[in-house]
Amino acid sequence: MSISLLLIPLALLMLGAAVWAFFWAVDSNQFDNLDDEGRRILEPDEQDSPGDPP
Amino acid sequence: MVNASGTHLTWVDGAIGSAETQFFAEGMRCANCARSIRKSVGALPGVRHVDVNLATARVSVGWDPAAQSLEHVLDRITALGFRPVPMLGDAAAAARRSERRAALKRIGLAGLGSMQISMYTVGLYAGAFSGIETDLARLLKVTSMWITLPVLLYSGAPFLRGAWADLRRRSLGMDVPVAAALVLAFAASAFNTLRDTGQVYFDSVTMFIFFLLIGRYVEANMRRGSLDATEALARSLPASATRLTATGGSERVALLEIRQGDRLLIASGAVIPVDGELEAGSALVDESLVSGESAAVSHAAGATLLGGAVNVGAPLTLRARTDARGSTLASMIALMERAQSERPRVALAADRAAAWFVGSILALALLVAGLWLWFDPSRAFEATLAVLVVTCPCALSLATPAAMAAATARLARQGVLVTRANALERLAGIDTVVLDKTGTLTTAAPRLGAIDACGALAAADCAAIAAALERHSAHPLAAAFAAFDRGLAVEDVSETSGMGLEGRIDGRTWRLGRHDFVAAAQTPAPRGAEERVWLGGEGQPFASFEILDTLRADAADTVRALRAAGLTLRIASGDRPGAVARIAAELGIDAPRGRQTPADKIALVRELQAGGHRVLMLGDGINDGPVLAAADVSCAMGQGAAVAHAAADMLLLGDSLAGIPRAVATARGSARLIRGNLRWALGYNLCAVPVAALGWVAPWVAAIGMSMSSLYVVWRAHRFAREAQ
Repeated sequence: MSISLLLIPLALLMLGAAVWAFFWAVDSNQFDNLDDEGRRILEPDEQDSPGDPP
Repeated sequence: MVNASGTHLTWVDGAIGSAETQFFAEGMRCANCARSIRKSVGALPGVRHVDVNLATARVSVGWDPAAQSLEHVLDRITALGFRPVPMLGDAAAAARRSERRAALKRIGLAGLGSMQISMYTVGLYAGAFSGIETDLARLLKVTSMWITLPVLLYSGAPFLRGAWADLRRRSLGMDVPVAAALVLAFAASAFNTLRDTGQVYFDSVTMFIFFLLIGRYVEANMRRGSLDATEALARSLPASATRLTATGGSERVALLEIRQGDRLLIASGAVIPVDGELEAGSALVDESLVSGESAAVSHAAGATLLGGAVNVGAPLTLRARTDARGSTLASMIALMERAQSERPRVALAADRAAAWFVGSILALALLVAGLWLWFDPSRAFEATLAVLVVTCPCALSLATPAAMAAATARLARQGVLVTRANALERLAGIDTVVLDKTGTLTTAAPRLGAIDACGALAAADCAAIAAALERHSAHPLAAAFAAFDRGLAVEDVSETSGMGLEGRIDGRTWRLGRHDFVAAAQTPAPRGAEERVWLGGEGQPFASFEILDTLRADAADTVRALRAAGLTLRIASGDRPGAVARIAAELGIDAPRGRQTPADKIALVRELQAGGHRVLMLGDGINDGPVLAAADVSCAMGQGAAVAHAAADMLLLGDSLAGIPRAVATARGSARLIRGNLRWALGYNLCAVPVAALGWVAPWVAAIGMSMSSLYVVWRAHRFAREAQ
């Protein structure tokens, strides 16, 4: 019983975190274009992206 | 022309005193909604017409501004429970995106919540057998309740709101029993949790919402997947143009401000805004948007350039023949819109059946409640809830979209893209196929047929001369002569637009092109001369070349397969009757029609439809757009002009016709699948209802039964999607 008192609120917290993460993902355009992103790897690289090693 | 409420008026006609506006009605899901908008707004004084396009959720209203205000119309639509969303450009796209995001969030919350609650429920059920501490059981129930509450209020909001709107309109939609079951189950569970006895159904509530939301999402995506054809057309026109003033200067004017007779400067690479006459010089334009012809066409001074064509040559000056609304492209938009508004029928019948089904469920639930209250009031609630949940139209409402999604996925793998939700259903019922010729049955590249020499030279020598001249031309015909090229040297080649080529070979001047260009003025043209290309020198014709279309490699196989599927084939083409007849004879198709304008093609389709036929139109290019929209179902070739794709219900990818018979077969298979699914869902309900009504089914069993029936329907669809692999 006592361990449940700890685990249930913990599960609730994790649920809240999961919901928050999902909402954040939806709001930051992660689900706006599901078709093209997978295809992007097949396209030629963009020129000189700043993060690339020299 | 944006009024106070932010709604864009597409145009307002001041002269006749009538105004018209178009907008999206957010929240429109069924034919019932469309009907109530039409009825309610149509009843307002001063409103001339209301058109509601269910597939695109688009409403168009015409009214008399003296007798009615736009605010009133929009208020009425808001009062019906819909949100009018302005249609043009970014606002509409943003509205669609935010609706999609909201749907995703609802699904996410419902999914995560139902997973969590399922775990607690497993604990509760297992505990019921192995002995669970009452405090722990209560803790699990209370936690479930607090998770269910946001799921119900946030994720379940569309059902609650939809049911509320339905009730206020005094009509029955699918949302009513769903909302009733949700609210009843939650209220009873919360009540039982607080007084700490009896069953809780939180798992049923959240799972129920989760499954239903997924069904809705699939359905909505299929509806939205289609880009609004007419919108795409309208977007292809520029918003403004450069007008030359009388004093020699220039000014920028809006598209709608262009008047007949204005002189417009069209920059290189710019879109021609309205039909007009080329003032001087020659012009090279890409008319693929308007005519479907993919090669650039050259025009001489005085020729008519069509609005929507792109100027790919040097900057040119154009004298406007019409204003923006009178141009060819605008009239195509109008044709297409009218054809689209004349469309729905199937959806109406399906929705009436659904309303009837929902009414029966509610009546049955009430009957069950009444009888149980009479016999054993303590079990009345459980039995009623079981009936509501077990008969949930979930499997029924998933039966169609799941099968459609499966068929759509299967077709996509077979090289056919379905862009309209109703396309498959209608494709399964067609019995006639109307085919366009150029670019559809034939490839765009023509080839050379018979060569008839009529002068002093042999046919082969004439062909070699013609090939040498054509070397200097960009016309698609030039490629047809390439095989005859012997490398003769040509000097002083010049091209006369629309007429032909002229050049000197070995000191002799040759002309290649139309008969009246090649032959001297007094030479009479033989019969059928305009169907051929002529070669001549010094006014004397030497040879004529027959130009043949190249049939696609798979055209004959496709025609055979379509016939084997029991379909009647027709050809309607804008091309010369002779060329059309030749292709029809080659394929064995009766009664071909040549030189057909878009209006002629529409007339043919309508005539067939009046004869009780259901027509599939297979075409290419935008001049087919209105015909594509008028046919029961339409299909465009993948590399045709971009807008025809948007107008068509389906899109053939990969430059091959083979997808068409496969699409027909898949559509028929999906129709069988839908019928099977519906039969199964109905059968399930018929078996489950009596059992639930007798009180033998606990609501949690009912929820499992409901879920299993939905899953079975989805699984069948999934199996269908994979069959082709």
